[in-house]
Amino acid sequence: MKFISIYFVLLVSLSVSAQTNDNDSTSLLVNDSLTIKIAPPTSVIVEDYKYDDADNLQLHWVPSIDDMPQDGKVVRYRIYQSTNNGSFVLVDSVNFSVNMKKIEGLAIDSTYQFMVSAVSKNYEAKSNKTITIQTEREWINFNLASLFLIALLITSAVIYFIETARRGKELFVRKIAGLEAVDEAIGRATEMGRPILFIPGIHDMDDVQTLAAITILGKVARQVADYDTKIRMPVARSLVMTAARETIKTAYQTAGRPDAYNDDMVNYITDEQFGYVAAVDGIMVREKPATIFLLGAFFAESLILAETGNSVGAIQIAGTARPAQLPFFIAACDFTLIGEELFAASAYLSGEPKMLGSLKGQDVGKAIAMGVIIVGVISITLGEAYGIEFFSNITSSIQSFFTVNK
Amino acid sequence: MKRLVPLIITFVVGTVLILSVFIPPMEGLGENFTLFFDIIAVFAFFLGGGNLVRVHFQKMSRKSDDWEFSIVTLVGFFVMLAAGLFKIGNPGDIASSVTADGSLFQAIYRSVFVPLSSTMYALLAFFVASASYRAFRAKNREATLLLVAAFIILLGSTPFGTMLTSWVPESWSIFQIPNLAVWLMSSPNLAGQRAIIIGIGLGVVSISLRLILGLERTYLGDDNA
Amino acid sequence: MELFGIWVAALLTLGIFSFLYKDNPVYKICESIFIGVSAGYWAIANFFDALHKKFWVGVFPTDGSDPNYMLWFGALLGVLMLLRLSSKIGWIARWPLAFIVGATAGLYMMLYFVSNAMNQVASTMRDVIVTSPETHLIMWGETIGSILIVIGVVSGLVYFFFSKEHKGVFGYTARVGIWFLMITFGAHFGYTVMSRMSLLIGRIDFLFRDWLHLLN
Repeated sequence: MKFISIYFVLLVSLSVSAQTNDNDSTSLLVNDSLTIKIAPPTSVIVEDYKYDDADNLQLHWVPSIDDMPQDGKVVRYRIYQSTNNGSFVLVDSVNFSVNMKKIEGLAIDSTYQFMVSAVSKNYEAKSNKTITIQTEREWINFNLASLFLIALLITSAVIYFIETARRGKELFVRKIAGLEAVDEAIGRATEMGRPILFIPGIHDMDDVQTLAAITILGKVARQVADYDTKIRMPVARSLVMTAARETIKTAYQTAGRPDAYNDDMVNYITDEQFGYVAAVDGIMVREKPATIFLLGAFFAESLILAETGNSVGAIQIAGTARPAQLPFFIAACDFTLIGEELFAASAYLSGEPKMLGSLKGQDVGKAIAMGVIIVGVISITLGEAYGIEFFSNITSSIQSFFTVNK
Repeated sequence: MKRLVPLIITFVVGTVLILSVFIPPMEGLGENFTLFFDIIAVFAFFLGGGNLVRVHFQKMSRKSDDWEFSIVTLVGFFVMLAAGLFKIGNPGDIASSVTADGSLFQAIYRSVFVPLSSTMYALLAFFVASASYRAFRAKNREATLLLVAAFIILLGSTPFGTMLTSWVPESWSIFQIPNLAVWLMSSPNLAGQRAIIIGIGLGVVSISLRLILGLERTYLGDDNA
Repeated sequence: MELFGIWVAALLTLGIFSFLYKDNPVYKICESIFIGVSAGYWAIANFFDALHKKFWVGVFPTDGSDPNYMLWFGALLGVLMLLRLSSKIGWIARWPLAFIVGATAGLYMMLYFVSNAMNQVASTMRDVIVTSPETHLIMWGETIGSILIVIGVVSGLVYFFFSKEHKGVFGYTARVGIWFLMITFGAHFGYTVMSRMSLLIGRIDFLFRDWLHLLN
């Protein structure tokens, strides 16, 4: 009886296995005439994955000779791994026609061996085992040499011009309309006796746009302190609240009016995007600020805020590095800082030579970008039009130099 | 001293993270920072949440304008906190998920939070209409370009746009509005967008260096504070 | 209960829409509810997600994995942040802030530089003459488009130049750059208008279908 039961269970499991998806079943020969026999992959090679922290290996193989897209005999390859001479276990699988796989999450103090099998609908052909290997750690990623060089060049340019300016050399910086208007906008609020509303976007301090907004706040708050204007700053993040308070407090202390500072100038509303917008809209229509700064990371709420600000007659200076929101600021605000101008604003407003030097430094980056694009486009166009390989190669070299694959 | 230590922290942490890109054993530092940041942000919420409660209590005690609405805010805040912390109405025990179906937290989220959020978002339809009206009163050449581009893209996504230029022969199909819209998106629009994006990349380098080098430091307060 | 939920949602929806007419007490109630409920919601969500799931489970894992002791450092910075409440040693709260600013600047400097500057420059270097793969004839629409991409990117970058006055040839080029930027903004504007309308349709659909049952 017991044997009959075992036989029955085996029979059922065999028939179920034959129908199951290939993903996790091992091959079983149900009926030899229906078996789609295939050859295994060959020349399976495992090697260290370059420039990592000893946690990856790279596996390559020559696909099975039966791996041809038109007949679809091979459905996938399975990868088996043996750790520290233990038994082989299935760790991954890839689709047919793939011939390499990065094996991740390994440890430096273990040894590994691999096997790859080709799998048809009902057959599995395993390759030979690879050599036993350990992962290696590299201390410097030479794949990123070009990134390092260009970043070093631009960083050096920025630092060089900061230093040059610090030593007293006059540097020219063109006028930026939106920033020229800051003084007037603050003056207007002072004259009208109405507050200034400063909205630093809805992201936290881990967004560089928020950092830019806080640095601009430093300059705006300094003028606000000098003019004794009222500033109001509702925020959507607690950390931004802390940083903004420190910033405004510093500005008041530098202006020699520490007593005029009050923590209530900055207050937390809610982390929720539209909850924050509902509150700020309310503040706008009730307190009717004379000037509104909308600087930082903005999303869909940009237009709601800018339009409400516009409806209360405030002079609005906006800026963000999110291209999708810029059109709405342009439509509804008086001045808009476009992308890079947002990051340049605090340097510009400070008027300090060393800060302006940093702007000249980033212009070097733009000059390099323009030069490289012009040379690259002309040489590839000439190369392709006249079949001159030399020109095409120039562009390919520049392109590979500028393409970073991390 | 009060300002020197934070300046050193900013410099060291910033420099290490820049270099970590090139040093494989340090490549996980960025992920660790994200984790640290999330944890710090939760602690910081005690300051933010505390401020919210204090501001509204103050409004109530001083009977400032609209102080009655502060009661509503505080009730909403504390009810949500209690519903989440004590898992009120959760079908499972205290270990069940805070957002489990049937919980008070989830019920308020669905019936209050979601409709309020979606409606605020939907207000955009009206604001986009008023902004369009303003933008479309083109004042100069630049504004006209914005207007024309917006109009082509807008028409290109409607059947009316297709109908309007359906008479244009196939050999001039680029001038059919839907095709023109696609061309506009993939060429001049892409060009402008790339210029902005490259500029942003360089702008971030510059401001990051100013922060790491301590040139921008107002957020660190004053030595006398 | 579900009917009650729908009524609450519908009244709140109308309350927010009333702001379009003017600020009013109904909007103020909706706004106050929204601020309170959403602040509470995110406090709880962050508490369970960051403090419990990321920190507590990380340092006291229950699945047998190794504890991540590094997380204590994050908690220490968090505690230092709370010192802001002290008038005497509140200045120590600047340390975690300095850490965040340094890390954000360092991390994003390279990220933005790679994705925004390097990769965009590389993708702009293309053969500007586009030919049909079948007939090998020049495709004028695409070719003009490719040329415009190069002109637009270069002139746009000229516009962003800070250390040179927009005068003469440089000034004209910057002007062309502004035109491209305006076309980009217009395109984004036009593209977004339709999607914003669909948001409104979604809310009206809720009011008329789920609440009033006027639509089937």
